[in-house]
Amino acid sequence: MKEKTVILTGNPNTGKTTIFNALTGLHQKTGNWPGVTVEIKEGSFVYQDTKFKMLDLPGTYSLTSFTEDEKIARDILVKEKADVVVVVADASNLERNLYLVMLLLELEQNVVLDLNMYDVARDKGLAIDVNHLETILGTKCVITIGSKRTGIEALKQAIYDASEDKKEVITKINYGEAEEQISLVEKALGDISSPYPIRFLAIRLLEQDADIKAFIKTTPVYQNIKEVIDAVYNCFPDIETYLIEKRYGFTHGVSEECTKRMDILENRIKLTDKLDRFFIHPFYGTLSFLFFIWATFNIVFNWGSPFTHLLEKLFAFAAKNITSLLHSIDSPEWIASLLTDGIIGGVGSVLIFLPNIFILFFVFAALEDSGYIARAAFVTDRLMHKIGLHGKSAIPMILGFGCNVPAIMATRTLETKKDRVLTILATPFMSCSARLPVYLLFTGIFFQHNRGSILFSLYLIGTFTGLLTAKLFKSVFFKEESPPIIMELPLFHAPDIRNMLISAWERSYLFIRKAGGIIFFGVIIIWVLSYFPLSATYAGEDSFIGILGSKLAVLLKPAGFGYWQAAVALLFGLVAKELVVGTFGAVFGGEAGITAALSSLFTPLSAYAFMLMTLIYIPCIATIAVIKQEAGIKWAIIATIWSIFIGWVVAVLFYQGFKLY
Amino acid sequence: MGPLVKSSPGKYKIVQITTACQAAKKRLMMLGVLVGDEIELIKPSPGPVIIEKGGTRIGLGQGMASCIIVNKITKETK
Repeated sequence: MKEKTVILTGNPNTGKTTIFNALTGLHQKTGNWPGVTVEIKEGSFVYQDTKFKMLDLPGTYSLTSFTEDEKIARDILVKEKADVVVVVADASNLERNLYLVMLLLELEQNVVLDLNMYDVARDKGLAIDVNHLETILGTKCVITIGSKRTGIEALKQAIYDASEDKKEVITKINYGEAEEQISLVEKALGDISSPYPIRFLAIRLLEQDADIKAFIKTTPVYQNIKEVIDAVYNCFPDIETYLIEKRYGFTHGVSEECTKRMDILENRIKLTDKLDRFFIHPFYGTLSFLFFIWATFNIVFNWGSPFTHLLEKLFAFAAKNITSLLHSIDSPEWIASLLTDGIIGGVGSVLIFLPNIFILFFVFAALEDSGYIARAAFVTDRLMHKIGLHGKSAIPMILGFGCNVPAIMATRTLETKKDRVLTILATPFMSCSARLPVYLLFTGIFFQHNRGSILFSLYLIGTFTGLLTAKLFKSVFFKEESPPIIMELPLFHAPDIRNMLISAWERSYLFIRKAGGIIFFGVIIIWVLSYFPLSATYAGEDSFIGILGSKLAVLLKPAGFGYWQAAVALLFGLVAKELVVGTFGAVFGGEAGITAALSSLFTPLSAYAFMLMTLIYIPCIATIAVIKQEAGIKWAIIATIWSIFIGWVVAVLFYQGFKLY
Repeated sequence: MGPLVKSSPGKYKIVQITTACQAAKKRLMMLGVLVGDEIELIKPSPGPVIIEKGGTRIGLGQGMASCIIVNKITKETK
């Protein structure tokens, strides 16, 4: 079968993910794209005799190197040399969406334009003359309604046709008075070898693109180019704005020519207006924001627990049967111990929380898909500015409740280095889903009557610690102010169940894989350390793990949990925070043993202190690695040391403070 | 004529973006909002404002909204 590469791109809020899901279904994975270590979703579909491999780029408005996302998108476009580039556009705002299309044509890509959300355009009273648009742009255009899976077959056909028949780009924007300057730069560039077309390079240089400038610096023509550009800026100082305005002039013209306006059916727009007055209102907006977060964790907890209990029983049943089976065939005792105490006890006690993880990401996808998350950024903007963060910092931080790793990657939409670093430092304190099993375990034992509120308080304390960290580091390391917040607010709409399920499944799958990988091996190491030396009782104080833990436990005494088991659990939690529970499982021999053992070691007070410590004390190894990747080794070290320090301080202060009452 | 942050809901033409927001101006341009454009103010201050242009709504922080100088479009000016 033939194989072709397709890149999916488009502005944010155009339903790109829905189209990606509709095209590829479950044939997708999140992989690291070689060259830049960045999470790019990859999927595939087969149409006629061809297999299409699809890459889903982050949503961007342009291809300048204004934000990290745009830089990444452009790099991939240039290096991948895809057979087809599909631009998912919001049909109701052709003018702005065509802007990206024109940049892609300047990059000489083989573009297919997908006019998505056509139902919204129709509600707004717009009709697009697709044939005319195809003639003007010289690209294939397809109408789709992603949420209803309308037009997906036509889109596949268009991708297929475009991949079979690659046309030269015929549409060029005439930049009028600037054309002369562009050709001057083109001439100075000569036949420079670069992955970009010459005209694209020339225009970007005139638009002061920092990345392209840096690239030119490495070439022999640099001196010459610099002189030419300086000369251009002397006689045409606002050429940068002029070029952008000309491009918008062109897309405005095309959009007017191809769009017919009819009667407006504004129901959805009116609804969004009403909701927006409420959701970004300084008072009601904040209140509803807190309510949403609180409700999320209650749902995660209440809907998840029946399934959790079911899994618990299943693992206990398995452990019992394996033991009696092994007993009946006279296998050595250590094998039974490894399988039941170690693996089922350890991995099982982590895996039972799978339903909670699934529900958490399901609800998160709903908040994101409905358009609410963008509003949350505005609600928190004022607070964020006071702290020295950007309003948009709220989005990575909220995503951090799911998993810190993609959340830290999401800081790429921030424009300044300062905002990125501060948000990266604050995000690990957002309590991720890996920490959830620890809270579920402890609240289940010690705070049965108000589990939801206890859970909520931990998330609040984590958030507060994150904000405090940002404030502190801002005043020490950074002086400049954040740029003002500007963000598109998509229309509110009912979240797409399919998107929610795919997103929840994807994250659950990662969780299962983690349980089978890093947690599995962690648990085996813990079991070995607990089983040996042979003279010791299993996981007793005289086992290796007991000896190791006792040394560390001294440090934890002031926080109320100076037991070697707690120390070892926290130590292994560094690898993955689920292992805190996994360690207890392996050491105490499964679910049933844990409850009894923990109730005798902890009091409600020290249990809460332990949860605080787990919440704050250190991001997991994967998070430290992603901090290093995104912000550099210096910040990774600072984040690690700071979090251990502040985690210990908070746990000790809490325990010592409340012990008096 | 006045800054967007002090305006009431309605249709406006953008006259100028003051130099205090020079860096953010480019960001605004990427979202399709240029000097000379007609916009509609949907939600005024206090708090962030929401404007609409070409069917897209864009939220702006108060800081940004005070940098955008607009002229009200009345029936006569049209």
